[in-house]
Amino acid sequence: MARVVVLGAGISGHTAALHLRRRLAKEHEVVVVTPNSKWNWIPSNIWVGVGNMRTDQVTFPLAPVYRRKGIVFHQALATELHPEGSPDLAAPHVTVRYTDPRREGEVAQLTYDYLINATGPKLNFAATPGLGPDANTVSVCTPQHAVHASEELAKVIATLRQGVRQRLVVGVGHGTCTCEGAAFEYAFNVEHELRTAGVRDLAEVVYLTNEYELGDFGVGGMVFHQGGEETTSKYWTESLFRERDVRAIVQAHVEKVEPGVIHYEQLDGSRNTLTFDFAMLLPPFRGVDLTAFDAQGRDITSEMFAPNGFMKVDANYASPVYEDWSAADWPSTYESPRYPNVFGVGIAFAPPHQISTPRTSPNGTLITPAPPRTGMPSGVMGKTVALTIVDRITTGTATAARRASMADMGAACVASAGTGLRRGTAASMTMYPVVPDYARFPGSGRSDKDTFGEIGLAGHWTKYMLHVLFMYKAMARPGWHLIPE
Amino acid sequence: MDHANDDIARALMPSAHTLRERQNLLFQFWRFLALNLRFVTMIFKGEH
Repeated sequence: MARVVVLGAGISGHTAALHLRRRLAKEHEVVVVTPNSKWNWIPSNIWVGVGNMRTDQVTFPLAPVYRRKGIVFHQALATELHPEGSPDLAAPHVTVRYTDPRREGEVAQLTYDYLINATGPKLNFAATPGLGPDANTVSVCTPQHAVHASEELAKVIATLRQGVRQRLVVGVGHGTCTCEGAAFEYAFNVEHELRTAGVRDLAEVVYLTNEYELGDFGVGGMVFHQGGEETTSKYWTESLFRERDVRAIVQAHVEKVEPGVIHYEQLDGSRNTLTFDFAMLLPPFRGVDLTAFDAQGRDITSEMFAPNGFMKVDANYASPVYEDWSAADWPSTYESPRYPNVFGVGIAFAPPHQISTPRTSPNGTLITPAPPRTGMPSGVMGKTVALTIVDRITTGTATAARRASMADMGAACVASAGTGLRRGTAASMTMYPVVPDYARFPGSGRSDKDTFGEIGLAGHWTKYMLHVLFMYKAMARPGWHLIPE
Repeated sequence: MDHANDDIARALMPSAHTLRERQNLLFQFWRFLALNLRFVTMIFKGEH
């Protein structure tokens, strides 16, 4: 009998757990440890954040699904990894602290044969003073945050209805944030709501981002070939900003947020302020607070994890110089170089470098998006690692790991720009590969045929369809495994 | 200071025809099929 412990039940961890359970014989145990009691389809949180969806439409309780599928569920927070065991317990294990109300605060040790670290990000609001729903801005990172954002937005719309001008700022709250796509979506959904409410003329909408230019999205932008012409995601995105009258501030690192005032630095070194009546700024991410120890109890956290808290896997972390970076640096097996039975997937793995060109201000501030590794790539990584573990358990040998590098993986991104079955719109993009490979695709680093963008109602239908399909898949309803990651 | 808003001011403004096309139910149904065919094709590329 083998036991596989999955830390985290986001897109990556939940996908891995379901595939493991489906492929492994019942004698083997699949265990999920996550501090949350509910699964959340995060891409739809933006719709909760403008009041167009309820939280129960983007979440469901995990316990009944895991009970039905035969997956052991611990609602707990992983705090320590002991991949070599410890002086007290010889088997590799993880220490967890329960968040389950019935066992709140209780500490336990769970042994494992294989471990998947899919813990996702720690929302690092603390990196920017004054950032976050407990301070001066709102967020849509969790369903609760999104509900709060929706309530604050409703207050602003009520003020606008009284004829008072308002400035709404949407974007990212630090120079190293990721998920610019989500900020972009929320900006245009807010703009759509303002128009629907009939108060658009009194509102100024500002998109504040760490991207070097619009359309970067943390992937260095895209080149599209449409109608026999070449265009870029920059021109394409700027056109949408012009059409919808949204202002933009790019190359920005938010230094601090005071009530009603954002202080930010730009790549040219200038320091500026922006007043606001409503601000949704996404936080930067870091790895969750996991510490690791060897068999003697020595702290090996810095050997297993990068300084930002993300787990080191089979990537090439040795190239500090941008000019030396290549697609081959990106991991493909997600195996820990130190422990082949430990894997890091989704946001939890440490990327070897940015995808967008890194840039630093004259003051030494890094202002560059971190690489996105959410959504589709995250699910693919989860499934790939699950299949590697299944291979190893069923054959009883250390078979070669399956591979799925972001440098050989495509991604579809549908960025909502407003809801409504007849009035909705979205910017739909595909790119292949996610990480540009300039050796395979000279020029843009991506396939001309498979990288494209389109704006329209069809994108909204597609995003809504993805919402329905992925909720269905995550609930492990009949045929769930036929829906691709 | 950046030049984002100067660039936005110079960006191509979609024509009335393009804007109508983006919301036209029949045309968008066709685009929905084409878009999803493209997504499915792309999903099955690569190693997974």
